[in-house]
Amino acid sequence: MSDQVTQERVQARIAIMSEAARVPLDPESCARVARAVLPTIKRFAAADVAPGFEVEPSSFTAIARTEIGK
Amino acid sequence: MTELAEFTLAEIATAIRTRKVSSVEATRALLARIEQWQPALNAFVRLEGEAALSAAAAADAALAGGNAKGALHGVPLAHKDMFYVAGKLAECGSKLRKGFIAPATSTAVARLDQAGTIRLGALHMAEFAYGPTGHNAHLGPARNPWDQTRITGGSSSGSGAAVGARLVYAALGSDTGGSIRLPAHFCGISGLKPTYGRVSRANAMPLSFSLDTVGPLARTAEDCSLILSEIAGPDPLDPTTADAPAWDLRKTTRPASELTVGISSGFYNENLDADVAATFDATLSTFRALGAKLVPITLPDQTLINAAALIVLAVEAASAHAPWLRTRANDYGPQVRARLENGLAYSGIEYLEALRWRAAALADHLAAIGNVDAIVAPVSSTAAPTIEETDVGAGPAAEVAIGRITRFMRLANYLGLPSLVVPAGSSATNLPIGMQLIGRPFGDETLIALGKAFQAATDYHRRTPALA
Repeated sequence: MSDQVTQERVQARIAIMSEAARVPLDPESCARVARAVLPTIKRFAAADVAPGFEVEPSSFTAIARTEIGK
Repeated sequence: MTELAEFTLAEIATAIRTRKVSSVEATRALLARIEQWQPALNAFVRLEGEAALSAAAAADAALAGGNAKGALHGVPLAHKDMFYVAGKLAECGSKLRKGFIAPATSTAVARLDQAGTIRLGALHMAEFAYGPTGHNAHLGPARNPWDQTRITGGSSSGSGAAVGARLVYAALGSDTGGSIRLPAHFCGISGLKPTYGRVSRANAMPLSFSLDTVGPLARTAEDCSLILSEIAGPDPLDPTTADAPAWDLRKTTRPASELTVGISSGFYNENLDADVAATFDATLSTFRALGAKLVPITLPDQTLINAAALIVLAVEAASAHAPWLRTRANDYGPQVRARLENGLAYSGIEYLEALRWRAAALADHLAAIGNVDAIVAPVSSTAAPTIEETDVGAGPAAEVAIGRITRFMRLANYLGLPSLVVPAGSSATNLPIGMQLIGRPFGDETLIALGKAFQAATDYHRRTPALA
């Protein structure tokens, strides 16, 4: 999956997503952002994390709170 | 008088409370030192000397009348310019918030006020707390008290410089990706990034709501504990603190001989400068001599944790700033604007997977460390680099430089763990080197116990820079 994450593909999606966020970036900025974020997107895609179906963003705090009082 | 500026927070609080030193004397000593150092450091963005002296005189009068407000009665402090005080400026190191008058007081500052502290002014910071070096396109850089050609670290740059140069006894900072720990390391002081949800962020400027923490930079671990004892605990204005336990001073006195310290090889030992590697080894030797049990541990893949943390930080920061990115993008400094724009690159699915994966990542981390109380790790691979060599503009080189500086920071932020930095050595060029102790969730007090034991056995926290 991470081999599909290329500079060109990331740059193309940044143009679309920045437009959708109503912060449109020019092609030069899209290229710069793509170079900056490519290693992070590649690494995360390579891990292919699959959080449990029931897990929500705040679930980690429930684990942290088991440590209170230890 | 200058020697009063060299007291620790605990020492000056006791001296004022027992009326061996007046609040006015302490305030005057700091103001004299600020006058000497400020032109070299750029640590303060606003100084409120006359108001501070008036407040100090009032504090002395109250004490003479038997009316001490709290444990920090009459102690002058200053904080990063992102902690709101009702009716006062809070410009957040930015052009966009130039002239912004805060409508309410941050809970952390209000609690320190209740403990009796008085305010000396506001401290330099990276623009919107989004930079790890202390550069600021609008204010100019803050400068390291040990060598003014070098960075302070950021984003709590003024807090690091001011405490390091003994201009204040302690200062509040924030830590979203290392912003307390990096200035503590580079400026030779102590700093505690607390457990996520331990200290209220209400009415402090946000950067990334699921990573932001508020904590102290101070001269010693004991001083950090003093601040936490005032600011930790639940606050209805910050729901993440709902279950936050009050500070437990008894736990800060646990002997090191009862504690287990984890040593992680691999990621945290890669590409360290020789001075940092030697400091790491010496730190382990000190803890061994103190009777702590040292055990090797193998942590899960830290590069994946760093990637997930970066996605969360970038998207949340971009979201918070989207209205200004749409309307006033040119009012950001180039590097901060570029970093904010990076947050537009991640999809909603990537962001939420990075957030939801935190539970599994924390569970894996706790399983990997077993019964370890704290992990010892470097803060950065080097002592403070120069301002010039880290002034890398807005291009990809900036990301590389920032990545090198923040490499060891992300674990504590992503998993919400506490981390205490203590000065632990010096480079061949006499620059301070810190080490971080990364604890268990809500194990902040245990880190203080280890830090106090370490500082009872070493003197790096007592070393004071001289003005050239």
